Amino acid sequence: MLPVVVVHGGADHIPKERSKNSMSGVCSATRAGYAVLKGGGSSMDAVVEAVTQLENNPSFNAGCGSVLTVKGDVEMDAIVMDGKTLGSGAVSAVRNIANPVQLARLVMDKTSHACLTAEGASQFARSMGVPEVPQESLITEYIRMHWKKNLAPGANPVECQMGKMGTVGAVAVDSEGNVACATSTGGILNKMEGRVGDTPCIGCGGYADNQTGAVSTTGHGEAIMKVTLARLILFHMEQGQSVEAASDLGLAYMKSRVGGLGGVVTVDPQGNWAARFSSLQMAWAAAQKDTLHYGVYCGEHFTQSIEDPN
Amino acid sequence: MSAVLVVHGGAWAIPDKLAKASVDGVKGAACEGFSVLKEGGSALDAVEAAVRSMEDNAVFNAGHGAALNTDGEVELDAIIMDGRTLDCGAVSSVQNIANPVSLARAVMEKTCHVMLMGRGANLFAESIGVATVPTDSMVTEYERKEWEKQKNYITGVMEDFNSQWAHDTVGAVAVDCAGNVACATSTGGIRNKMVGRVGDSPVIGSGGYADNCSGAVSCTGHGESILKVTLARLILSYIEQGKSAADASQLSLEYMGSRVQGAGGAIVVTPPGQWAATFTTERMAWAAVENDILWYGLDPNERVKEQLSRQ
Repeated sequence: MLPVVVVHGGADHIPKERSKNSMSGVCSATRAGYAVLKGGGSSMDAVVEAVTQLENNPSFNAGCGSVLTVKGDVEMDAIVMDGKTLGSGAVSAVRNIANPVQLARLVMDKTSHACLTAEGASQFARSMGVPEVPQESLITEYIRMHWKKNLAPGANPVECQMGKMGTVGAVAVDSEGNVACATSTGGILNKMEGRVGDTPCIGCGGYADNQTGAVSTTGHGEAIMKVTLARLILFHMEQGQSVEAASDLGLAYMKSRVGGLGGVVTVDPQGNWAARFSSLQMAWAAAQKDTLHYGVYCGEHFTQSIEDPN
Repeated sequence: MSAVLVVHGGAWAIPDKLAKASVDGVKGAACEGFSVLKEGGSALDAVEAAVRSMEDNAVFNAGHGAALNTDGEVELDAIIMDGRTLDCGAVSSVQNIANPVSLARAVMEKTCHVMLMGRGANLFAESIGVATVPTDSMVTEYERKEWEKQKNYITGVMEDFNSQWAHDTVGAVAVDCAGNVACATSTGGIRNKMVGRVGDSPVIGSGGYADNCSGAVSCTGHGESILKVTLARLILSYIEQGKSAADASQLSLEYMGSRVQGAGGAIVVTPPGQWAATFTTERMAWAAVENDILWYGLDPNERVKEQLSRQ
């Protein structure tokens, strides 16, 4: 059953013309994460590799391709968590770096803190020799177009974008049964400067515990925060629910209690996994026993050999 | 329906020279918060009032009296949460605001977001007419001296003093006459923290959580440990499973100690009016008011009772 990696590219409305890119992006990232695991790498190495690939892919709202703040800037959030030690690292509202997930990992590995924000995160990045990249290199034409559209008076950014672009993330369990999660995002379109969503908040954007499992979430950030979605799903698993039932319970509660939609990828230390969503779609992929699983629309579950080229 | 308010002024090895002021501070804050409840005010109004009282009190590391980061600046975090709707507001690394808990409430009520940080939070404050306060007027002489002293330690030595670090975050939880619960937490963070370090206080589920279905919690202690176990949400998960407020707190704090070697404290209140103030650090300044009776303590197992004069 082990190892396993599951990846998501955002739980939102993905326009048909972009769903092909989302699909191939998550499959590619999953293959990369799985290769790390098969090579003896840890679940942490695998999730960071998978999310790095999605950050580098301009089709996703993370790293390059991130959505813009109301002022037209890129501010990114990311988190990683190690299920063995419960160690975690996060960055929020960080600018001008290509891979926030890697910086989050450095926060975990190289500091005694769990989260660094904004200028503090940038200062730390410089001290670690992480190169600063021009903001322009992170912004795509597609994103800039949506930002302009949402500046129009009467456009409601929260509703407009809810369902347009999502956070990316991954969970994994390695051959030793260690679980990990990673999540990364540019946030919500036209957000206020300094807005922090669920992604860098432990228990919300992600959580990992070797005793139970790992979760990475995506969807309406403020709703995910109100129900601490990742931690909630793991509470259900602690009570004996399966990965699928726990994920569905968490998502259903978020919908009924606070009216929020989203998606999750979940894994337990035995290698059971699920990719579930209450939004219209979520691009996801998983690799286990040399088989690639993937889907975008509700009810989809395609499989092929991991060796098959995309 | 019985209204209850509980406050804490930080869980750490509070030195004797700060003990009386800390206890007086939490007693005053509890009474102030309770008077809001007595007049029929909401749990949300009550926790905000109690925490504001402690932010204004320089003996606590929140608002006035905050610890300094490694650059010698003040960076404040706060959270407030409404158990009825699960609405929440938080600010992190906001600079030079006298009452971060009120700014957090404004985030909740005036924006569609839950959390704002840094410059964005300061810009928001400006946009709603909240004044900026000069650093000097927020920082005590004591803090500045301690900060300079600590800057001269070698980092390795500092790590050993982890458990001795001041963790005097402040917080409050309440249940009002309508059975609604709320929580609020506010802090200046750890002395000499890295610039932009975010601890547990503004992170929902860690520094605090409130849900009418189970209760409200505010936490204090070693922030990074509280985050690792999402302490506030963990305590409420035990209450959801039928544990008492006291048992839920004890189990969760013991888990934090054994799993991640972290010490701290928590105050809890449930919708039927059960409450607890629990800590695994050497001391925690806390106070609670229920039925015109004021309870308070500092040392483990200390629980002093005082009748409040009826008005």
